[in-house]
Amino acid sequence: MVNYGGDEVSALVLDFGTSSLRAGYAGDDTPKAIIPTSFGFIEEPAEANGGDVTMGEAGATEGEQPQASKPKVKLYIGQNGPSLWRSGMQIGNPMQDSLIQNFDAIPPLISHALSEVMRCNASEHPVLVTEAAWNSPANRERMAEIMFEEFQVPAFYIANTGVLNAFAAGKGSALVIDVGHSTASVIPVVDGFVLRKGLMHCALPQLVHAHAKHLLTSPTPTRQGIQLIPHQLIASRTPVDAGVPPRFTLREDRRAGTTDSWRAWAENREVEEWIQSIGGVLPQGWNDSAATSQGSRHYEFPTGYNNYFTGVERYAVGEQYFAHSAQLMASNPNLPKTIPSLVTSSIGQCDLDLRQVLLGNVVLTGGGSLFAGFADRLANDMGRAFQHVKIHAPGNPTERRYGGWLGGSILASLGTFHQLWISKEEWQEHGRAIVGQRCK
Amino acid sequence: MAASAADVRSILSLPNAPGTGPPTQAKKPQAAERAKKPEGIPRELYALIGPSIPTMAAQFAKPRLKQKPNIGGGGNVKWEWRPFRNGARTDDLRLSHWVKSSVDPEADYPFAKYNVQTTPYVYSQDEYNRFLEDSNWTKEETDYLFNLVREYDGRFLVVHDRYEYPGGTERPLEDLKDRYFSICRKLVRNRPWPGDEASKAALISTLTFDKDKETLRKQYVASLVNRTPEQIAEEDALYLELERLKENERRFKKDRDELLRTLCGIESGLPDIAVDDDGLAGTTLDTKKKRKAVAGSVEPQTPVTPSASSVIALPQPQPKKSSAKSAAYDALHCIVRTEVEQTAGSSTKAAHVPVHLRTFKMAQPKAAVAPRVSQVVGEVGISATRIVMPTRDNLAKFASVIDAAQQLVEIKKAVDKHEQDIRTTRARLAILRGENPEGEGEALETPMDVEEGEAEGDVEGRGQSVMSTRSARSRKQGRRSMSVSSVDTANGPNKRQKQR
Repeated sequence: MVNYGGDEVSALVLDFGTSSLRAGYAGDDTPKAIIPTSFGFIEEPAEANGGDVTMGEAGATEGEQPQASKPKVKLYIGQNGPSLWRSGMQIGNPMQDSLIQNFDAIPPLISHALSEVMRCNASEHPVLVTEAAWNSPANRERMAEIMFEEFQVPAFYIANTGVLNAFAAGKGSALVIDVGHSTASVIPVVDGFVLRKGLMHCALPQLVHAHAKHLLTSPTPTRQGIQLIPHQLIASRTPVDAGVPPRFTLREDRRAGTTDSWRAWAENREVEEWIQSIGGVLPQGWNDSAATSQGSRHYEFPTGYNNYFTGVERYAVGEQYFAHSAQLMASNPNLPKTIPSLVTSSIGQCDLDLRQVLLGNVVLTGGGSLFAGFADRLANDMGRAFQHVKIHAPGNPTERRYGGWLGGSILASLGTFHQLWISKEEWQEHGRAIVGQRCK
Repeated sequence: MAASAADVRSILSLPNAPGTGPPTQAKKPQAAERAKKPEGIPRELYALIGPSIPTMAAQFAKPRLKQKPNIGGGGNVKWEWRPFRNGARTDDLRLSHWVKSSVDPEADYPFAKYNVQTTPYVYSQDEYNRFLEDSNWTKEETDYLFNLVREYDGRFLVVHDRYEYPGGTERPLEDLKDRYFSICRKLVRNRPWPGDEASKAALISTLTFDKDKETLRKQYVASLVNRTPEQIAEEDALYLELERLKENERRFKKDRDELLRTLCGIESGLPDIAVDDDGLAGTTLDTKKKRKAVAGSVEPQTPVTPSASSVIALPQPQPKKSSAKSAAYDALHCIVRTEVEQTAGSSTKAAHVPVHLRTFKMAQPKAAVAPRVSQVVGEVGISATRIVMPTRDNLAKFASVIDAAQQLVEIKKAVDKHEQDIRTTRARLAILRGENPEGEGEALETPMDVEEGEAEGDVEGRGQSVMSTRSARSRKQGRRSMSVSSVDTANGPNKRQKQR
C-alpha cells in the first residue's frame, strides 16, 4: 500500500458540473452516482399534498426534499427527475457559468446522490468537493458550510477541477483545456496550483449549442424548420420518408401542464442529442469541399421527422469551437473566444519559462471535447501556433468526461493528502477562514 | 509373490482374523518389507516385481509440485477498520482505514514523514533596519512577499501569480526573486554561523540570484518565442541554405582533392593517397616513358598529349607557407619544419622525403676528400662519422666543421698544386737554360713526387690517402674548388702537349 502512496479512508468525492453531478468513493476509477444537475420542481402554494401521486409515478429512487424557503417547492432529482413529465413541473439548474448560483438546491442534490444512489451516510466519510478554478471564496465557504452543517461530514476539502484534471492525467504541471457543458476553459496548472493570471474561460459550448439549435429550427431552402418536440409530448407518430414533414399526434392531455422551462430543457436535450450523434469537427480546419466529402448522416427526431444531414451542416457545428465565421463576428462583437484564442491568451499570460512546460503537457478533458475529431483539430491548430506541443487526451470517454472526479478520487485516496482535510474541529474553531487558508 | 489373505484384508481394511497366529507372525516381516518399499510403486506391483527393479521407482513416484507461494505470510491475516491519528495534522482528526491487526495501533502514521517543512527565513525589525532596507520596498511589502513564499513553499511562479500587494506596483518575477534571495543572503552573512565557512559559502551560493542576467535571459527567450512564423520560416530557410553551401563546399573540396591525388600522386601533399604503391609507380613510369617518347619523337603532338598537357597545366601544389601564427605555434612547441625539396615536374617516388632520423642526414664530406677531412677533424678530436648528441644545432655545427675542414683540405691541395707548378716551371727554365731535353719527363715526374713527398711531410701519415684522393679526383668531376684543380691538372698535360 505504501508503495504507491495510497491510503484509502473511504472518502467521498463530489464533482459538480453543469450537466451532471458525479459522486463516488475515492480510489475508484468511475463515479458511483452520476445524476443530472438539472432538477424539476413544482411550486406548491400551500399544504396541498399532491406529492403522493407524483411519488408513485417517480418511483423510489426519486429524492424529494421539501424546501425550507418561502414558496414551498417539491424537488424532483435524479435520473427520473427532470426527464419525467409532470404537470406544472419546472426545471432549474443551480449552476451558472460553472459556478453554483443557487445553493438552495445543492443539499437535496448531494443528499440524493449520497443517500439515494450511493446509499451511504455522509457523516461517516470525509468529503472532497470540486470547484471551478474561478470560484469565489464566498462560494467555497458556503459549500463548506453546507457539508459541515447539513451533512455533518467529519472532514472536508474543496479542490480545483483544473488541478484535479491535471492529476487525473498524472501531471503536476499542465495546461488543462476543459470543454464542459456550458463553459470552455483553459487552465494553466503549475505544481498543483492554478495560475490565476493565465486562467481563461468562456461560454463557448453555449454558443455551439445555440448555433446548432438555430441550424435545426430555422428553415433552409431544402427543408422547413424542425420541430424539437420531446417524446414525452408525443402520443403517436407514423414513419415517414426522409425529408418529408412528420406525421404525429401530440399528447393533448399534457399540453396544459407543460411549463416553458421544461419545454426549453427538453428541446435543448434534443439539440444536444443531435449534436452528439452526428456533429463533428474537421481535423484539418474548415474547408467546404472537405466538409461535403464527409458525407451525410441520417438522424430521426422524436416527431418522426428524419433527414440526411450533410457534412457541411454537421461539421459547421463543431467548427464553432475553433473559428467563428466572419458574418457572425460582424453581427456579434461579444462572441466568446474560440479554443485556440483562449489557449493563446492563456499562454501569453504565463511566464516565458513556463511556456514550454505547459505546451508539452496539454490535457484535453471535459465531455464537450468528445466531439469527433476535436482532439485532432486541437493538435493541428496548436501545432501551427506553437512548437513542441504534446496533447494528452484520454481515449476512454469516462476518463475524459469525469476527469475532475477522477483526479479527486486519486487525490483523496493518497496517504499524504490526509493532512490537508479540514476537520470539523478546525471548522468549528476557525470558521470560514480556514477554507481559504487550507485550500489554496 | 501372490497376494496373501492378509493383503486382501489390508486392502479392504478389515481387521485381522483373530486367532490366526502364523499370519500375524508372517505379517511382521512383510510390514518391514513394505516399509522398505520405494515410494510410488503400487503395493501389488511391488509384490510382483519385488525389490529387484528399483530403477522403475522414479517413474511411479508422485510428481512433487513446487510448493505454492504462501501469500500473506501464512494463516489468515486479520484486517481491521481502525481509526488513526495523522502526525502531520495539528488537530485531532481521526480518520479510519484498513490495517492489519498486527500493526501497532500506537505506531506513527506512515505518511506523516513526508510532511517536510522548509525552515522559512524570518527577520526581526532590528535586522531589517540595519541591513535590509531597500528604497523600492517597504517593510510591509517585504513581509507580504515572505509570507507568500512561505505559503507556496518557494514556488516563485505561483508566488508571482498570486502576488497582489494592495497599493503596490506590478512587479516582475525577477524583482520578487531578487528581493527574496538578497535578503536571505544578507541574513546568512550577517548572522552568527554555527558551522564552518565552507558550508556557509555553499548555502550562500544556493541563494544567489543574478537579476540582470535573468532579465537578459528572459529577453532572449522572449525574442525567441515571439518570432513571427515568417521569421521562423526565414530562419529555417537560411539554415538550410547554409547547410547546402557547406555541403557544396565539402563536395567541391573532395572533388578537387580527388583530382589532385589522381594527377599529382603523393606529391600533391594530400593525405590518404588511395592508390596503391605499385599502381602509382607504374603510372608514373608510364607517364615518364610517354614524355620521353614525346620528346624523342619527331612530331611534337601525340595522342597522349592531352594527359601530358593537363599534367603540365596543373599548377604545382603550393608549399605550405608558414603564416605568422603557425610560426609562433611552432616556436612554442619546438617544432622545426624541414623544407621539403620540390623537384619540379618529376612525379617520382624518389622525390618524396620519408621520415628519417637526423643522424642519417649528417653532413658528409665529399667522397674525394672524405678521408683527409676525417683525418683533419680527427686531429682536433672530433669523430667524422658519429655525434654523441645529434641535436639540430650540433648537426649544424658539425656540418660547418666538416665544411671548414673540407675547404682547408682543398686550399691545401691548391697551394700544393701551385707550388708544384712553380717547381716544374723552374725546372723547365733550368732545362731551357742548358739542361738536356730528355730529362724533362723525369723532371716532370719528380716534382710530383717531391710534391707528394712534401705533402706527406706536411701532414704525416697521409701518403697513401693522397694517391687515392688524386685518382678519385681524376675520375669524378667535382664542383667549384674541384674544377679549379681539375683545370690545373687538365692544363698541365695541355701545356705539356703544346710544349711537345
